[in-house]
Amino acid sequence: MNISDCELHTEYLIVSVMTTEEDMKDFLFTLGCYPGERIVLISRLPSMYVVDIKNSRYSIDDNLARAICLREPGCVAPSSLEGRVV
Amino acid sequence: MRIALAGNPNSGKTTLFNAITGKVERVGNWPGVTVEKKEGPVKASLNRGKKKMTVVDLPGAYSMSPYTSEESITRDFVQKESPDIIINIVDATNLSRSLFFTSQLMELGIPVVIALNKSDLIQKKEIIIDTELLSEILGCPVVRTISTKTTNNGLGSLVEALQKISNEKKKQQPLRIKGAKTNATKEEMEQIDKNRFSVVNEIVERVERRKIDTSRHTFQDRIDKLVAHKWLGIPIFAVIIWLVFSLSQSWVGPWLADVFVGWIDGFYSLVERAMGGNVSPVLSTLLLDGIIGGVGAVVGFLPLIMVLFFMLALLEDSGYMARVALVMDRYFKKIGLSGKSIIPMIVSTGCAIPGIMATRTIKNERQRRTTAMLAPFMPCGAKLPIIALFAGVFFGDNAWVGTSMYFLAIIVIILSGLIIRRITGDTSKSYFIMELPEYRIPSVKRAVISMLNRAKAFIIKAGTIILICNAIVQILQTFNWQFQVVGQSAPDTSILASLATPLAWIFIPLGFGIWQFAAAAITGFIAKENVVGTLAVTFAVTNFINVEEFALVTGSTDVMAVFGIGAIAGLSYLVFNLFTPPCFAAIGSMNSEMESPKWLWGAITFQLGMGYVLSFLVYQLGTLFTTGAFGAGFLGGLIASLVMISYVVFLMRKGSTRIIKSVNEEVA
Repeated sequence: MNISDCELHTEYLIVSVMTTEEDMKDFLFTLGCYPGERIVLISRLPSMYVVDIKNSRYSIDDNLARAICLREPGCVAPSSLEGRVV
Repeated sequence: MRIALAGNPNSGKTTLFNAITGKVERVGNWPGVTVEKKEGPVKASLNRGKKKMTVVDLPGAYSMSPYTSEESITRDFVQKESPDIIINIVDATNLSRSLFFTSQLMELGIPVVIALNKSDLIQKKEIIIDTELLSEILGCPVVRTISTKTTNNGLGSLVEALQKISNEKKKQQPLRIKGAKTNATKEEMEQIDKNRFSVVNEIVERVERRKIDTSRHTFQDRIDKLVAHKWLGIPIFAVIIWLVFSLSQSWVGPWLADVFVGWIDGFYSLVERAMGGNVSPVLSTLLLDGIIGGVGAVVGFLPLIMVLFFMLALLEDSGYMARVALVMDRYFKKIGLSGKSIIPMIVSTGCAIPGIMATRTIKNERQRRTTAMLAPFMPCGAKLPIIALFAGVFFGDNAWVGTSMYFLAIIVIILSGLIIRRITGDTSKSYFIMELPEYRIPSVKRAVISMLNRAKAFIIKAGTIILICNAIVQILQTFNWQFQVVGQSAPDTSILASLATPLAWIFIPLGFGIWQFAAAAITGFIAKENVVGTLAVTFAVTNFINVEEFALVTGSTDVMAVFGIGAIAGLSYLVFNLFTPPCFAAIGSMNSEMESPKWLWGAITFQLGMGYVLSFLVYQLGTLFTTGAFGAGFLGGLIASLVMISYVVFLMRKGSTRIIKSVNEEVA
């Protein structure tokens, strides 16, 4: 699943980032958007999504939203979220 | 001692730089305001030591691996120009991301001092940070700062920390990150950076406590829902832009301009009286009509420009700019640009130079170059006097003239974007991501500072470039080629008239084939304010603003009679000046941002063609609708316009073949 399928204000774990530009993948990494990290969908706007990554809000277009694969909350092992500030 | 200011975008680096040096560099509430490095000494009230401290403000960066070109400036500076100390500005509300860059900066061996900025916001957000523990873990001083405040802002302690660390002369120890080494492969680097984030996460867990979950729905999110609404997004943007321009051009600006021109008139009379009747008429005309009249005609519009900059500063400070980018993204994608292209365009409504430079935050090369080419189509502050003058003379100060020029600019940009996309044959898709800063109530103080700074720059420009240009124009129109004074009865024999007349021929199909207009259009390339100045000098109209009637232009029918053209030709001239290439300084900026002579010359030719064809259409169609017949020079203009349009169509077809070819290759 990707961001477009997410429920609002629910924590998901990033499984993979599959952008066609390698640079974009590296850039997302520096923001803390990489496999294993958490991401929360804040709102859906026309052709745009607002997400929370490491306590910051970003708007990303649907193109990029589709490139970020997530894991459903139910599939998340509770231990992997331990210690994170929520 | 050179001190680099480095940190994540929108962490407040330039605000801190301004506060620590007393400078007035551009600030704004969106990531990517600063796109070049700037230097300044720490002001004497903060630096009590003997050593001179120079601070270098750098563009924001998320890491040492630059994504866009302005981030490279930061990386290159800290790596290659080895500053003595790095002030790493960390947004206190966002430790978990900011410390990633911090850990990379610490590996350079240069002493690091952390300025934990926006410390006032952490109380509001109920975040507790153990500064001492953070300093102990990182092995460098951590100072809480609030750079937006003038007192108790922590800047004194920051400078003290800098002095102390400079005396210690110790190398910064890096954080211990598993596997960290130089010359790592890409895969190794990825693993190292993952480990780096793990270390950062551990540090944050130890030093920070948050009571409020950042991912909850906030009031700010509700505003976003409204301003980025599917149907309301664009109307809200239009209303905001309309307010900014209407206040400066129709309401507050003209009123202030009127008061101001009263003073200039007073000054004119004072100088006239002081000179008496004994001064040579040539010198008296040069001083009164050429210098005071010409410069005064331009400076009279200063209040309009000041109000515009005040309004723009409020807009830039509010946090709305980043939202405009996200609202416009889906529309701009259709013309081959990105939402980020709107920011350079809005900045260009103040001045095209910072607007063009703001394109550095756009990653895609074609989008960046196209934006640098199209941003100057937005009427800049210097074009405001031209708009105000023509709206006043020909359209009875109607507010719609000014506002419609901005909307016409948007239409021209959309059309040009589509054309350029076809010419380049580039259909590559790009991603859009932008950090959303929090909205805040714009600071009136910051807006006033920005406004006064722009006013100062404008007055300096008026007193130098514009003054010299007006004096030259006055001299050139006073003498003929035999250096004899040209009588008032035969102004067409002057040097200026003989130089500008051949050009005026080209403008006949546009409705203003008069040498004075040609001369003004040419001096406009030096600085757009010159257009009004040159018109004032060549038509001997000393000021355009009426002090008695609180109207923008002195007896508009009189000025119209002197100009010798009608309203349609006036509108055509306005359009020509707005949509031909910008001033030389802005062209210089285009050159450095495009990094391609082919693109630069293509852009200038395109802008010239666009200005000519639009102007031709306005004049000829306008004349056709109002009089039932085409205007003068229709056939010549039509041929010229058709040649230009055909060439563009030819280039577009060539570009389309490239698209088909690349699609075929992909399919194969």
